[in-house]
Amino acid sequence: MIQDERLPAAPSAEAGGTVGRWPAGTVLAVLGGVFALIAVSLVALLAVDQRLVTEAATRLHDETVPWTLERQRLARNLEELRMGGQRVLTASDPPTRSDALFVVRILAAHPGMGEDPRTAELAAEVEGFLVKSAATEGAPDMKAWDVYSRRLRLLADDLSVEGGQRVSAELDRMSEAVEQTRYKLLLNVLLVGVFLASFLFILRRYLIQPLQRIHAVLVSLDGREPLPLLSSSSMAEIHAVEEAIMRFHATLRENEEVRLKLERLATTDGLTGLPNRRHFLGLASDEMARARRYGRPITVGIADLDHFKQVNDRFGHGVGDQVLQRFASVVLETLRETDRVGRFGGEEFAFIFPETLPDEALQLAGRLRQRLGESPVALPDGTLLAVTASFGLADATGQRLEESLAQADAALYEAKGGGRDRSVLATRAEAEASPQRV
Amino acid sequence: MISRHLFVALASLMLAPLTHAAERVLRVAVLNHSPPMSYTDETGALTGFNVEIMRALCDVMAVRCMPVPVSLDRVVDAVAEGEFDFAAVSLLATPERRARVLMSKPYYRSLSVWFARPGVVPGGALAGVVRGGVQARYIQANGWRSVALDTHAEVVTALAQGKVEAALLPMSTAVALQQDVRIHHLGLATTLLRDPQLAGDVCLSVNPRSPELLALLNDAIDRVKRDGRFDRINSRFIPFRLQ
Repeated sequence: MIQDERLPAAPSAEAGGTVGRWPAGTVLAVLGGVFALIAVSLVALLAVDQRLVTEAATRLHDETVPWTLERQRLARNLEELRMGGQRVLTASDPPTRSDALFVVRILAAHPGMGEDPRTAELAAEVEGFLVKSAATEGAPDMKAWDVYSRRLRLLADDLSVEGGQRVSAELDRMSEAVEQTRYKLLLNVLLVGVFLASFLFILRRYLIQPLQRIHAVLVSLDGREPLPLLSSSSMAEIHAVEEAIMRFHATLRENEEVRLKLERLATTDGLTGLPNRRHFLGLASDEMARARRYGRPITVGIADLDHFKQVNDRFGHGVGDQVLQRFASVVLETLRETDRVGRFGGEEFAFIFPETLPDEALQLAGRLRQRLGESPVALPDGTLLAVTASFGLADATGQRLEESLAQADAALYEAKGGGRDRSVLATRAEAEASPQRV
Repeated sequence: MISRHLFVALASLMLAPLTHAAERVLRVAVLNHSPPMSYTDETGALTGFNVEIMRALCDVMAVRCMPVPVSLDRVVDAVAEGEFDFAAVSLLATPERRARVLMSKPYYRSLSVWFARPGVVPGGALAGVVRGGVQARYIQANGWRSVALDTHAEVVTALAQGKVEAALLPMSTAVALQQDVRIHHLGLATTLLRDPQLAGDVCLSVNPRSPELLALLNDAIDRVKRDGRFDRINSRFIPFRLQ
């Protein structure tokens, strides 16, 4: 009986397969390290771009703008040179011409003029022309001067434009760097997003989902049921919890088995496997209550093995036990599923037949006696020992259990007195006076 | 640029207690009687290219400056001894000067001009020079005959009065001399000298114990050259752009 009630086997702790496991702290440290590495790399990448922009701005501020302003000053000096030349050629008196020529020579010799080969060459040509014109009597060659004058203006324009072009080129480079920075920033945001998505995936896959499974298992954890299969998590700590749950479940199962065993010992007769007196009375009370609640018929009975004391005395208690077991097996094989039987004490057994009228119970008792007669007990010497029993039955419908059992006991007494191996039904009105014999 | 700006900011912090908390005014050496760079105008006010540049620089540095006229031959000594915080005097950055004072970044370049009668080569006549200038040092080093005077105005006067036959002057002062009507009748010819000892970068000199002031001045020079003040002042005093 114990073997039959064994609980379902628990799954193995390694049912999910053996996998490598990582401590959560290590995993978090690795993830944190990777994130830190990515963050540092991104910051470094942006820092490089920022430095490019800063360098471009610095170059614009410290080099290009001053260079451009110097170009404009040089252009202005070219214009001053042209105007000075005009004064040299048109001066009405020598001092004025001399002053103008002096400025021309200063400009032509100025270090700034010599920085650009175009200005140095043109300034030298202009100076030479003007010095020669100033030293020459007569009208100057204004046509030649017009050519020089036009060249000076054009070169001044070129210098002014070059400054603007260089600023424009620097701004273009800076804009390009800023644009690159914008793309890289976008890339950085994407990378951070991918990392966060990966992080959340890992968190969900290896931490949250195992925890949810553990929660579901714990909510439904029952020692009478097999343990739901756990995933065998890759996280060492989660796996430790899973193993603890398995051990806990195994303990629950052991406790449940012990409880069932104790319950059987407390409610079952150890020799026959039938419910003992106390358990039977509990079962009978339930059936009586049910019959009373629904107004259904119910019958009780008490059986006693005939001459059992002589069997014990003559053949020993081992044969007596065999007889008791044989009676129990015949009863279990013969009774209906809804009928209840219990060992009431010694060789006495009690019955309760729900949904059964007294006459039907009487027939059932007869069938039991018949089956019992057909099932003799084989003695050690090979002979067969016939076993008989006497039955007392009573209609329990609408009565209390104790009262009905007392009536059945009286009917049993009657059956014994009447010669044994028979069934006697105590009708309610005639329970004391004339029990029905079968 | 960032580090330089940081240094300038730190320098400003270091200078701030000197100029605000203690209400100290920077003493600035300037020349007088040296048109168009530094002179007293008809109203008695000190003005000129260097004086106005000095005012612009002090405005950019947000400090109060007090110009103090001094002769050219005392400029380097006075600045080196700390009598002045800096000198708004155009000095060629010679190694000798760099060894005694801090020199700012160049704010323009110059050359020297020899004035003499036509046909007289440089060194061929008694020349007037300003004491303390590179021109005086150059003449002395080359053994030319010369008369050392205190100011550029005195050189012009000496020429006009016939006390000297020639003059060796820096470029900008030479422009003023050329336009001085007192010497027009002399019919002087000019020779431009670009010897490295007479031409090159022109700087401001700074108290050697005030490197923070040097940083501020350099930054201020950049700013006045960028914001147009340099060119506007240039246009007021010089008939061409200083570069």
